[in-house]
Amino acid sequence: MYDVIVRGGLVVDGSGTPGYLGDVAVQDGKIVAIGKIQGDARRFVEAEGRVVAPGFIDPHTHFDVQLLWDGAAKPALEHGITCVVPGNCSLSLAPLRAEDRKQVIGMFQQIEEMPPAAFTEAFDWTWEDFAGYRAAIEKSLSINVAPLVGHSVIRLWVMGPDAQERAATADEISAMQDMLRECLNAGAVGLSTSFVDVDENGRPVPSRFAQFEELDALSAVLGEYGRMLQIVPEFYAIDITIARIDQLAELSLKHNIPTTFSPVFDSTATPNNVARTMARVEEQFARGARVWPQMQTRPIDISFSLLRPSLFFARLPRWVRILRQPLEARIAALRDPQTVEKMVADTGADGGERMMGGLVIRGGDGAPDELTGRTLSAIARDRGEVPALALINLSLEHGLDVALLSASAGHEVTERIGPMLAHPLVHIGASDGGAHLASFSTYGDTGYLFSEFVRKSGALSLEQAVAKITSETADIWGLKDRGRLEAGKAADIVIFDAATIGRGEERPAFDMPGNGMRYVRAATGIDTVLVNGEVAYSGGQYSDARAGVVCV
Amino acid sequence: MSTEAVIIGAQIVAGHDGSAELLIQLRHPGGAEGPVVLDEATGLKLMKTCGATHVDELTGQSWRRIVEGL
Repeated sequence: MYDVIVRGGLVVDGSGTPGYLGDVAVQDGKIVAIGKIQGDARRFVEAEGRVVAPGFIDPHTHFDVQLLWDGAAKPALEHGITCVVPGNCSLSLAPLRAEDRKQVIGMFQQIEEMPPAAFTEAFDWTWEDFAGYRAAIEKSLSINVAPLVGHSVIRLWVMGPDAQERAATADEISAMQDMLRECLNAGAVGLSTSFVDVDENGRPVPSRFAQFEELDALSAVLGEYGRMLQIVPEFYAIDITIARIDQLAELSLKHNIPTTFSPVFDSTATPNNVARTMARVEEQFARGARVWPQMQTRPIDISFSLLRPSLFFARLPRWVRILRQPLEARIAALRDPQTVEKMVADTGADGGERMMGGLVIRGGDGAPDELTGRTLSAIARDRGEVPALALINLSLEHGLDVALLSASAGHEVTERIGPMLAHPLVHIGASDGGAHLASFSTYGDTGYLFSEFVRKSGALSLEQAVAKITSETADIWGLKDRGRLEAGKAADIVIFDAATIGRGEERPAFDMPGNGMRYVRAATGIDTVLVNGEVAYSGGQYSDARAGVVCV
Repeated sequence: MSTEAVIIGAQIVAGHDGSAELLIQLRHPGGAEGPVVLDEATGLKLMKTCGATHVDELTGQSWRRIVEGL
């Protein structure tokens, strides 16, 4: 008797080949048979009219902290993701000495925007080394985790406060190599580093003080294990990014390691950047290097409020002048009828309808719940005001703490993005799941891949899209048991409706420790998710299954 | 021809982290042109340093003004 048989679905096995009708049998957490399966099972999952695919793998997340109290990395799992890679961008929660916790928490808060209570109330710090962190999360995982170890924390472990001051000595580099080996032996799937990130005080994170010799030495250790080097390059400057691609290629070739970098995203303001990036990537792959660019599927939204000056208003000189003022003076100016009259006039004869009418109230802040998700245009109509005036008055009524969203302001042209995602050397990822909590939702990118680039634009076939986020990801990262529906592989399976899989609207949720807020998106079209053979999510509900593992 | 890079254009773009960012086009000595993206804080500082209240007013400024804002 099998444990589970998934019956009658369209099996899209992750290989990229056409799907076929069949059953999938599961035993002891593994896939044991695929095809027309006779026999009994403890549980049948009916999949008629649905796609049966390998669980999706998200290779760029920051769930390091959340996994300590939420082993499902919600809502990632309900989006069909069965394996997440935390520890990106040079930051992980181990190795980390007790006396250094405060410093690293500050770095995490800068990236994740997680409330302080997340670090003080939600879990006990029971570890310092990587094995201890692994043990702490393994207690209650319902999703699989393939963790990176962060260069910044290794540096901090070895160098103490000097990690954020200077280059390392030869002895220190040697000690970092030993520590990296220890982490890889304890289950890390690679090393992450950053050339961009800063801590909560705006200081470069420790990894940014490393000289090339240090990265080369650490890559040599990765080479002993064939493991991944992940970096965040200076993505704001394309020429530097290309120089980093070359640097990664040298490390890849010298040490025979895979490397990946992110973010890579399109902008119509710099329409050649992705093409230039990919041209260099293609050249380096042709040399034998492995330098995988990670590209997100979702568009980039701009969000802002009048609490802080924003470049969103950079085409409105008077607004910039007023919003630059200290808070008290700014509020006084916004309450002055003559000033406001001029500000509104600056936005055009339509009172800002064209410029601001499409802005959406985000919620989760000072704005009343009933306004969340509504456009400024609609709210202005209800108030009998033009949009620019409604923006000012609404903000004043709520202490300026009203966040607005300018949706799809970058990486948004489907006709451009689709072919990029379909490129055989583009690694779909860079979701940042678990980060930027108070800025935007980092969930639902996989659903968006299917709704926008399979169903709407047809840039990828269903089978190609599945392969992109399953087998290709597993191969890139060396996750040998994952990414394919194949006898002997782990039974990570997602069952979804190809006609409806997608992402819900972004909404605020107050489910972080200490009632902290984050933006989330629900999944649509996902029926059932199995992790290592156990149903972890079905019919809109999470189960009590805790079958997730740290996978390598 | 200028002996140092100058700003020849600027526009607002969406940043990776959801903020509005400032895309500066620089023309380097020798004529090569290329973009660099400044985060929101640096972009605002650049506008302040240059006394600009509109992005178009950045045109013609030296690249050194960017460094002053870092």
